[in-house]
Amino acid sequence: MSFKKLAVFASSILALTLTVATATAAEPTYVVGAGGTYRPFEFETPQKELVGFDIDIIKAIANVSGFKIKLVSTPWEGIFATLAQGDRDIIVSGITITDKRTQMVDFSLPYFPAEQVIITGPDAKVTGLADLKKLQVGVVNSSAGDIVVSDEVGKSNTAIHRFDNTPLMLEELYRSGVDAAVGDVGVIKFYIKSHPEKKFKLVGDAKFTRQYFGIAVKKGNKELQDKINAGLKKIVADGTYAKIYKEWFDANVPTLPLQ
Amino acid sequence: MNSFFHWEIIGEYLPLFVEGTWMTIKAAIICVIAGTCWGLVLGVGRLAEARHGFWKHFLRYAVQWPIRFYVSFVRGTPLFVQILLIHFALMPMLINPSDGLLISGDLAREIRSQYGAFASAVLAITLNSGAYVSEIFRAGIQSIDRGQSEASRSLGMTYLQTLRKVILPQAFRRMLPPLGNNAIAIVKDSSLASAIGLAELAYAARTVSGAYARYWEPYLTISVIYWVITLLLSAFVQHLERRLGKGEAR
Repeated sequence: MSFKKLAVFASSILALTLTVATATAAEPTYVVGAGGTYRPFEFETPQKELVGFDIDIIKAIANVSGFKIKLVSTPWEGIFATLAQGDRDIIVSGITITDKRTQMVDFSLPYFPAEQVIITGPDAKVTGLADLKKLQVGVVNSSAGDIVVSDEVGKSNTAIHRFDNTPLMLEELYRSGVDAAVGDVGVIKFYIKSHPEKKFKLVGDAKFTRQYFGIAVKKGNKELQDKINAGLKKIVADGTYAKIYKEWFDANVPTLPLQ
Repeated sequence: MNSFFHWEIIGEYLPLFVEGTWMTIKAAIICVIAGTCWGLVLGVGRLAEARHGFWKHFLRYAVQWPIRFYVSFVRGTPLFVQILLIHFALMPMLINPSDGLLISGDLAREIRSQYGAFASAVLAITLNSGAYVSEIFRAGIQSIDRGQSEASRSLGMTYLQTLRKVILPQAFRRMLPPLGNNAIAIVKDSSLASAIGLAELAYAARTVSGAYARYWEPYLTISVIYWVITLLLSAFVQHLERRLGKGEAR
């Protein structure tokens, strides 16, 4: 190899290294935690790959905001602690924005309108939250449903059965282990659609105010929060959001309060 | 210190911790008693043998082998898995409002919603600890010199009389320490039942940590409570050992 060739070779290697280095600097990789049992928002394929509405949204946001993500399946219990510990940079896991949670983590703008709903078996006579007082009620531990039911019947009441995830809670309801359950309407409707034979009934209540899902980052991580918000606005404006929404739910794409 | 620990959140959920402690103790007592009895049955069945004829084959193939299979399965699978299996698969098959094999109709609905998680947890832990206890009994019984049972049989005692009056009283003394360990294991393992929504101690801590995303206070609190329970339990076992050990003192 002549000197000239060697020089070209060396400089191209150098250039390549530099390109890679600048690309990495420009496109940081954030570790994204998501639960694996919250169909259709995030769930695992048989190949252990995380998929779902939330996953598509965070991928789209990362794409337009110029960062890379690494998805890690993270159990719901203790999911907020992973931000403070630095194990995850972003949590997207169908998290309802609540005051209490806002004290612990920072949320992005809302990306999905969610509300609670009461689910019962086919012959139950439940017309609202007040009817749950004498019943055994299933909820997902520390979910928005848990908070509403705890307010209604007392948070230390042992008639509340707290489960790790929605499928487990609905299985217990189907097996009459609880008389009713309270969960997120998105997941529940998706479940009813795929399990019509279980004949679950849905009951609303005026106390279920409209709530929103938000993407959580570590308290004070304003830079990342801004990036996510900018990305979210972009994908709503360019129609990517509507396309993803229609893929997972229906054509009634909601208007998000993006201010 | 005050800014680091927020013990007031434990106070907020105090009833859950008090009832949880009570539930843990209640479940442990039932499981220890039932598990020991079940383990005795299994342990005796495991050792049952006859020299000749029909009983020889019956005991070997219809008693010993199924028990060996059971003990091997239970000891070879995690208790957590067994609890989920019993609560979400076995119990719904047996007790079910629409087509329960044992109980169905409104009574089944009532049982499942009021006592479902408790019954499943107690059944799972009892079946589990029975397998371990059976091995303790087997070892205890086998540790008594064969000459003793030969002597009592030649005095005209039946097999069961020999077992009840000669072998078991001595074997039990030797079995006490491992039985005590087993009881302590039951107290601790009952925490696994929080996964099926049984409102015991670990469930109280899970609820609080879930609501506040705080982990020191709830889990330290229940650690101390578990510790106190197991300390009291081992003190009780030591007391029993001293009392029953008097006969063997020289």
